[in-house]
Amino acid sequence: MKLHRIWGIFLRYFYNLIHTYDRLTDMFFWPFIDLLLWGLTSSYLVSTGSTSNTLVLALLGGIMLWIFPWRGQYEITVSLLEDLWNRNLVNLFATPILFSEWVVSVMFIGIFKSIISFAFASVIAVVLYAANIYTLGIILLPWAGLLIMFGWVFGFFIASLIMRYGTKIQTLAWMSMAIVSPFAGVFYPISVLPSWAQTIAHYVPVSYVFEGMRSIIAGQPAPLSALFWPLILCLIYLMLSLYFLYGSYSAILKRGLISVE
Amino acid sequence: MTILEVKNLKKTFKKSEIIKGLTFDMQEGEILGILGPNGAGKTTTLQMLLGILTPTSGTIKVFDKDLATHKSEILEKMNFSSTYVDMPWRLTVKENLEWSSWLYEIPDRRKRLNQIKELFLLEKQWNQPVSALSAGQKTRVNLARSMINFPSILLLDEPTASLDPEVATYIREFFANQRKTYNKSIILTSHNMSEVESLCDRVLILKDGMIVGNDTPANLAKKIEYSHLRLRVTKNVAELDKLISLRKLESVQEDKQYTITIKETLLPLFLYEITKKNVGYTEISIDKPNLEDYFMKIAKSTVETKSRGDMS
Repeated sequence: MKLHRIWGIFLRYFYNLIHTYDRLTDMFFWPFIDLLLWGLTSSYLVSTGSTSNTLVLALLGGIMLWIFPWRGQYEITVSLLEDLWNRNLVNLFATPILFSEWVVSVMFIGIFKSIISFAFASVIAVVLYAANIYTLGIILLPWAGLLIMFGWVFGFFIASLIMRYGTKIQTLAWMSMAIVSPFAGVFYPISVLPSWAQTIAHYVPVSYVFEGMRSIIAGQPAPLSALFWPLILCLIYLMLSLYFLYGSYSAILKRGLISVE
Repeated sequence: MTILEVKNLKKTFKKSEIIKGLTFDMQEGEILGILGPNGAGKTTTLQMLLGILTPTSGTIKVFDKDLATHKSEILEKMNFSSTYVDMPWRLTVKENLEWSSWLYEIPDRRKRLNQIKELFLLEKQWNQPVSALSAGQKTRVNLARSMINFPSILLLDEPTASLDPEVATYIREFFANQRKTYNKSIILTSHNMSEVESLCDRVLILKDGMIVGNDTPANLAKKIEYSHLRLRVTKNVAELDKLISLRKLESVQEDKQYTITIKETLLPLFLYEITKKNVGYTEISIDKPNLEDYFMKIAKSTVETKSRGDMS
């Protein structure tokens, strides 16, 4: 792998970001709207005395942490779609770049945008609702890593499907994380789910992170399982998704890169 | 020195063999044209040479290395320009060339970008988004991108399509000069026969996925036996018509202008005969067969074969 090539691909997506209002809206507008609406809702519930003060941080914390898997997935699939929409795939792959370098670049751009989006959202949460996500402590770092890794899993899986079936299934780029979100327990404890859904949630690594976050907010320590087991799951899923992705790339090379549309 | 060696290259799509065992090579500093009717396999061949389409069988060796196993290393010294490919249209010309430059090992990137800007006359478009450019300007940017790594081998698919004649001539001269000065090797596909004739040292003619011609443009043209004799007839038109009929020649008549297709070997005799019959004419010209005639012959036979296939 060559760093300059990874930088080149990163630059391609970075320049696209600064010229595209859609991408900028995704990074700043939607997190802001989500925080505003959920912040007001939770503040209202707290003011009625029907729930505790910790609800605001629990809900807003869910929104903020959800940025990581969402952006991790979104950046991979939308980056691929951008190159399909622009008929630019050949410009990328008829060059010395290795497929693994493209993979690393889109992972990196996911991290870059997640950090910016999360930092922006965390400031908004403090300014509007005095909800400071950083009170969760250093554990935020490994959690952010786990969450974004889970986003990559979905990103690579959806990118594989888009490579095989083209832009006609591009809606998956926006849908896929929403499908998994009910099992992730972003805003509620997994215990409220029906038992069959709890079984599924057991295999959704990010559900442990959100459970852990609520534990800490409630003044309890986060269980070690909130790091270890989801990490194992994430690594297994990541390897499977990468295997699937490489399979799809080999398949489109047999059909020809310009045939993907 | 042979820098590209293709051996028995085949490509099958859904049980249909599109490329049927191509074998050819290219020397350093050579400009090789690939011609063929639509569907002959030109773009498929170029895609395989760029490593963006996996051959079903056969080998491609570039700089004596197998493309399948040394793709990254080989593509460092190769580049391409194709009408099938666009650039990210929201990005400016400068941004597009800049990110592309980072994909290659270029010692002084800034200097190289400035050279490219001047060489391809892109000063005015430099900070414009690609979406704001005309088709010709986009082609120029694509060609500029193909030179960003100063490649030893360049694959150009319809390089001057949509360029205005002045810029097309400049681009043709530029590539001819690149070969002359830096000994670059170029593979070129084009539907502009005079471009191929003037630029290429050798031409491969593809038909139905096979090479049916592999020679210099002049030698390929020599394979056509017929010339076109043009006459502006002023006297004894009937005698000329009789002679054409007697010799069973093809002719097209517009007013007094005759275009007669005739075997080159019969030409002196025919001219003697029309003089003998006292056929008067004020203008005469003989069009020798050229690459376009050869290409048309191949293309015509392809259409006829396909028509027969459709009928059966």
